[in-house]
Amino acid sequence: MQFHAFDKDYLEKLKSGEFRTQEHFVSYFSELIRLKLSKRMHSTAEVEDARQETFARVFTALRKEDGIREPERLGAFVNSVCNNVLMEHYRSSSQETTSDDEDGEANIPDPAVSVIDVIVEREMQRKVRHVLDGMEEKDRRIIKEIFLDERDKDVVCRELGVDREYLRVLLHRAKKSFKSEYLKKMAKQTMKR
Amino acid sequence: MNHDEATRLMASEKYLLDELSPEESEAFEEHLFACHQCSMDVRAGSLFLEHCKVELAAPAADAAPDRKEDTGSGWFSWLKPAFAIPAFALLLLLVGYQNLIIYPALRTAVAQNRAPRILPAATLVRGVTRGAPAPAVIVRPGEPFLLPLEIPTESTFSAYAIELRGPSGAVVWSLKASSEDVKNTLTLQSPGVQEAGQYNIVVTGLDSQGNKLTEVGQYPIKLQFAEGGKS
Repeated sequence: MQFHAFDKDYLEKLKSGEFRTQEHFVSYFSELIRLKLSKRMHSTAEVEDARQETFARVFTALRKEDGIREPERLGAFVNSVCNNVLMEHYRSSSQETTSDDEDGEANIPDPAVSVIDVIVEREMQRKVRHVLDGMEEKDRRIIKEIFLDERDKDVVCRELGVDREYLRVLLHRAKKSFKSEYLKKMAKQTMKR
Repeated sequence: MNHDEATRLMASEKYLLDELSPEESEAFEEHLFACHQCSMDVRAGSLFLEHCKVELAAPAADAAPDRKEDTGSGWFSWLKPAFAIPAFALLLLLVGYQNLIIYPALRTAVAQNRAPRILPAATLVRGVTRGAPAPAVIVRPGEPFLLPLEIPTESTFSAYAIELRGPSGAVVWSLKASSEDVKNTLTLQSPGVQEAGQYNIVVTGLDSQGNKLTEVGQYPIKLQFAEGGKS
């Protein structure tokens, strides 16, 4: 499994602002933070703002003299900073009237997409197509109705005569088939760096 | 929650399916951020579902023809020499063009973005007196430059719109800064420009809905091209 261990060396590089380590760190935690935030926030702009705020605070804390010293606590630290950002968001949302403004712009643009990224994305899309093609029509329909059409899961399960356990196993199997391609992607991105 | 527990509970699947209670979600997230296996699992699952949406949103007709039998007039008719030879020649030309021209240029651009370098920076002064010269900065055409910007904060604004206006007054780019951002000096990296002349950074205060309220300040700047560049 491609992975940089969060060890002392990694932490030191991160603290010193070494570009590749920072890039890996942001890439590693971005998706987890986005998922966590999107379960609790309404708009993608809010999620993106909070994600950036989380990283800004993590990097500020890392650079402090008395900042984090135990590399194995890095993940837990990112999670706790993200929790703090969320708490502050809840507090400010309850004080202000909420806005449905969806078109807020992120201040920091995402890094430029490279040719390799485009190729890797295409390969992943092909793998997803392959996994979907290998499914029964009913299973494809379940995935579509739940994740694309965002219909109520219980209603979809009832209509198609399956239970929630079936849904979990279906997702588990599909994820497992796809994971090899995902790990290849991670390896390619590491080689690129 | 530990890894065995997470595996036994199928916590990754339940997390992706929003089936965990708020307390369970928090317990799993504490584990997730620290466990590389679960992290890979959730990230792979999330990515799979994102790609599924794209795939399943595409019209069914896109996928259906792949499964058709070859009748001689379908996809495989492209393999007949009359089509195949010119088609492959064209493809070779295209691949050669990509490999020799496009990819090296893109790789160079990516490498340039990653390499450290010195960028020109302007010192911006708000509301330069009419007639007084605006601060000048020497840049190369198309080369990015830095604009350190200090915006006076006012509690009435929720955010600020920052615009770079070109010599004609047209907006070259714009971005939004939160009231939190402007508490410190902002350093903006501007994309390169192709025309030298008098530019202006215009900062406007926004309300919580993103509506422009009042102009906070103007920061004129003169961009001059280095020798050898257009002016």
